[in-house]
Amino acid sequence: MVRFFIYLLSLAPLVYLNIRLFIFDNVNDPIKYIYTITGGTATVILFFTISISLLKEKINLIKYRKEVGLLGFFYAFLHLLNFVVLDASFDLEFILKETLEKPFIYLGMIAFFIVLFMAITSTKQLFRKYNKYHKFIYLALILITIHWIMAQKSINISQYVYIVIILLIGFSKLFQQLIKNLK
Amino acid sequence: MKLIRKKSWQITENLVTPKEFFEKRRSFIKLGAATLVSSGAIMELLANEKLPTQTLNYIKDKNINNLKLNTYEQITSHNNFYEFTTNQRDVKDMAHTLKTENWKVTIDGLVENPMEVDLDDLVKMFDIEERIYRFRCVEGWSMVVPWNGFTLSSLIKKVKPLSTAKYLRFETLVDKDSFPDQSRGVFATLDYPYVEGLRIDEAMNDLSFLAIGLYGDVMPKQNGAPIRLVVPWKYGFKSIKSIVKISFVEKEPLNTWQKENPKEYGFYANVNPNVDHPRWSQKKERVLGSFLKQNTLMFNGYENEVASLYKNMDLTKYF
Repeated sequence: MVRFFIYLLSLAPLVYLNIRLFIFDNVNDPIKYIYTITGGTATVILFFTISISLLKEKINLIKYRKEVGLLGFFYAFLHLLNFVVLDASFDLEFILKETLEKPFIYLGMIAFFIVLFMAITSTKQLFRKYNKYHKFIYLALILITIHWIMAQKSINISQYVYIVIILLIGFSKLFQQLIKNLK
Repeated sequence: MKLIRKKSWQITENLVTPKEFFEKRRSFIKLGAATLVSSGAIMELLANEKLPTQTLNYIKDKNINNLKLNTYEQITSHNNFYEFTTNQRDVKDMAHTLKTENWKVTIDGLVENPMEVDLDDLVKMFDIEERIYRFRCVEGWSMVVPWNGFTLSSLIKKVKPLSTAKYLRFETLVDKDSFPDQSRGVFATLDYPYVEGLRIDEAMNDLSFLAIGLYGDVMPKQNGAPIRLVVPWKYGFKSIKSIVKISFVEKEPLNTWQKENPKEYGFYANVNPNVDHPRWSQKKERVLGSFLKQNTLMFNGYENEVASLYKNMDLTKYF
């Protein structure tokens, strides 16, 4: 049942995106819209994966954390696919040049490769060996946040609210670690 | 004998796709979708879809470049108007608060005939024409819009600038009741009033246009009613909306986006595929309604008309 809700919630944005794009046909700037929905969903899901341990006293979702993380990776992958296929139309030279030159792009790329690494090493066997490197998710989340802020022309009021939520999660995690170390 | 030479933005009228067909095509598809999903919200959406009524009399643009127009729906539902919100789609639903009645425009500064004039009286002074222009946003999207209005040069000739006037400075309305973002204090997205500027020779160029409508109808509020600038060879933010004041000045005005972020936005803001925005490439653009990108043209395709304004200027420095 819990799993059903996780998938329902996680896949809803993708369904919504497709309905808007292909049934209503009323998206003015499709490439940008695909970036917004896939990027936003990936960000929310990945922040949720690190919040699972914060919530475990109330609801214990630890055993679903891997699946939730993979769903986040799935959206990050769609986000990258949008860049490669629609935005850059497979122009590898352009992709490489942009990735090396523009901080906005390479920060996103580094974050993607961290999440890709985690997705690959999420099998039982590999996780045992590599789980200590999964702490890199915190670096990825910092990069994603900077990448998202850089995507805006300027920051508006509702975006300040997101930043506050992100900071709250960050500080709660730090606090949790501190208490753990004291014990 | 007087030779009438066609401008590059003029083409024969029969090359323009009649917007009725285009709009109907989209409505038809949506109707199909609506019967499939059949929800009250969708029917409401369809009912709200406004089409322009021909309220203006104007000289038609012949669209010699055969530019493919974006639909009225697209042009009026994708707007950067930060006085309302930074969300391009939401502007349309919020714009009703803009009060355009009894609109006055002040023209002052270094001119022989300064004036404060009712918009209606101002419009009466000129023949209204249509201009089908490309519109390229600095963010990387673009559209083709059939504007209605008059040339900025015809207004400039009426007010007779003094020889000391080197620049024009434009200002958007400041009114907290009209624009929600203007009452947010430190949380406002931009510093208001929104300010833009042009060098006087740029302003005198035949392309520089003051638009009071689009698609033959009065300017929709979300597009900068009741009067806005259109300078098609520059990024969209130069085409200031809802103008209340035009001042003729000696010094280069500090425009809003340059003030906001001088590393990324300059005074000139000419569309230039060879000079990237620091964060993203400007080589290509996303035409509204399309999944594919197209190449961005130098000066947005108006090189013949405006390149001479910038000879001997380093465009990477004066971006």
